[in-house]
Amino acid sequence: MIEFRNIRLEIHRQTLLDGANLHIANGDKLVVRGASGCGKSSLLKSVIGALPIAEGSIGIEGTELSAATVQEIRSRIAFIGQEPVLGTEIVRDALLLPFSFKAHRGTAPTEEHIVERVERLHLSADILDKTCSRISGGEKQRIAIIRALLLNKSIFLADEVTSALDPQSRAAVMEELFRPEITLLSVSHDPEWIKGCNRIVEFNTAQLREVAK
Amino acid sequence: MTADLSIGAMISMYALMLIPLAILFYLQLGIIRETLIAMVRMTVQLVLVGLYLKYIFQLNSPAVSLLWVAVMLVVANLSILNKAGLKRGLFFWRSLAGVAGSTLFVSGWFILIAIRPDPLYDARYLIPITGMILGNCLRSNVLSLERFYSGIRKNENEFMTYLMLGANLREAVRPYLRDAVKAAINPSVATMGTMGIVSLPGMMTGQILGGALPMTAIKYQIGIMICIFVAMVIAAFLNILLSLPVAFDDHQRLKQNIFCTKS
Repeated sequence: MIEFRNIRLEIHRQTLLDGANLHIANGDKLVVRGASGCGKSSLLKSVIGALPIAEGSIGIEGTELSAATVQEIRSRIAFIGQEPVLGTEIVRDALLLPFSFKAHRGTAPTEEHIVERVERLHLSADILDKTCSRISGGEKQRIAIIRALLLNKSIFLADEVTSALDPQSRAAVMEELFRPEITLLSVSHDPEWIKGCNRIVEFNTAQLREVAK
Repeated sequence: MTADLSIGAMISMYALMLIPLAILFYLQLGIIRETLIAMVRMTVQLVLVGLYLKYIFQLNSPAVSLLWVAVMLVVANLSILNKAGLKRGLFFWRSLAGVAGSTLFVSGWFILIAIRPDPLYDARYLIPITGMILGNCLRSNVLSLERFYSGIRKNENEFMTYLMLGANLREAVRPYLRDAVKAAINPSVATMGTMGIVSLPGMMTGQILGGALPMTAIKYQIGIMICIFVAMVIAAFLNILLSLPVAFDDHQRLKQNIFCTKS
C-alpha cells in the first residue's frame, strides 16, 4: 500500500504537484499519465526519497517515509527507470549486485533461478556473460526488472519500462509485473500497458485526478 | 657543506628562464605574465621561508615548530578545499582533521621511531619532513576529494540505483571511494616504480649535495617515500569518510550546496 497525503512537490522552486492525495492499495496496478515534463517521474522518485517532498507525507505499507525509515523503504521497493542503470560491467554481476549489500547478504539466488528468470523475460542465458554497455536499452530494462524480481520485492515503481520493448517482450514483462501480489505504480504512454492497469491517474496542472476506466 | 650560490650565480639561473619565456612568447600562449608572477612569488616565498627557517632552527623551540606545522596544515587544508571545488565553511574542520591526522601520525612515526633525533622535536627534522609529507598529501587529497564528489555528481542515477538496491551510504559510495583513492595514489605508485632510474628524488639529491653519504641519503629517501605513500592513502581515505556526514542529507542524497561552483 502506498499513500500520498497532501503532497507538494517542487523542483527549482517550480511547483510540480500541489496538495495531491492518492491511495494505492496492495495489488493495485496504477498508471500515471500526463504531458512530458509535468513531473510524473518526480512523483515516482519522491516515493523512494530520491526527491524531497516540500509538504505532506508518504506512507508505504504503514511506514512513514522519513530519514529513519528511508533505507528500509528503499529495500522494499523496486524502482525501474526508462534508462536503468545496471551499475556493474557484466550482466550477471548486475543481477547479483544487491546481494553484495549487507541488507541482502546471504540471500543470493542460484544460477538455475537466475537463468529461469532471464528466460521468462524472453532473454537468452548468454546475456549473463555480456558487458552491460553492449546490451540494448530493452535488454537493460528487462535485466533491471529481473533484478528487482530476484529480490522478491512487492512494490514496483516503473517509469516507461516498456518504451524500448517489442510486443512479445512487453507481454512477458507485463505478465511478471501484473501478478496479483505486486503493487505497481507506473508512468506510461503505452496503450497496452494502460489497458492492463486497473487504475488510471491523470497528472495535470499540478494535480492528480483519477479517471474511470 | 654545500657550495653556496653567489648573487652572480643566481642571476645566471634567472637568465636561463629567458629561454622558456622566448618559447612561450613565440607560441603566443598568453601565460608569460602568469609565469613571471609565479617566478616572483616563488622567489619571495622561498626567501621568506629561508629567513623564517633560519630563525626557527636557531630557536629550536617545540612550540614555535609546532605552530609552524599548524600554519602549514591550515594553509594546505584551505588549498585542498579550494582546488577540489568544495565549500570551505562546510568541510574545513573535517578536512583538517583528515590531513593533520595522517600527516602528523606518519611524520611522527618517521621522526620519533625511525630517526630519533636529539632533541626529538628538532626543527631541522620536524619541519622539512612534515612539509614534504604534507605537500604530497595536498596533491592526493585534491585529486581524491574532487574525483569522489564529481564522480557521484556525474553518476547520480547510478548512485541512487545502489541505494535503491538496498545499499547503505557507505556501500553506495564505495565504487566512487575506490576510484578516488586510486586516482590519488596512482601517480605516487608510478613515481616509486621508476625512482632511481627515471628520476633522482629531491630529498636524496639535496642530502647528497649537503654532504651526506649516498647510502644515508638513500635510506632517508626510502623512509620518506614510504611515509608519503602511507600518509597519502590514509589522508585520501580518511578525508572522504570524514566528509560524508556533511555532504549527504538525511535521505543519503548528495547535497548540491557543497560545491563552490556549478559544473
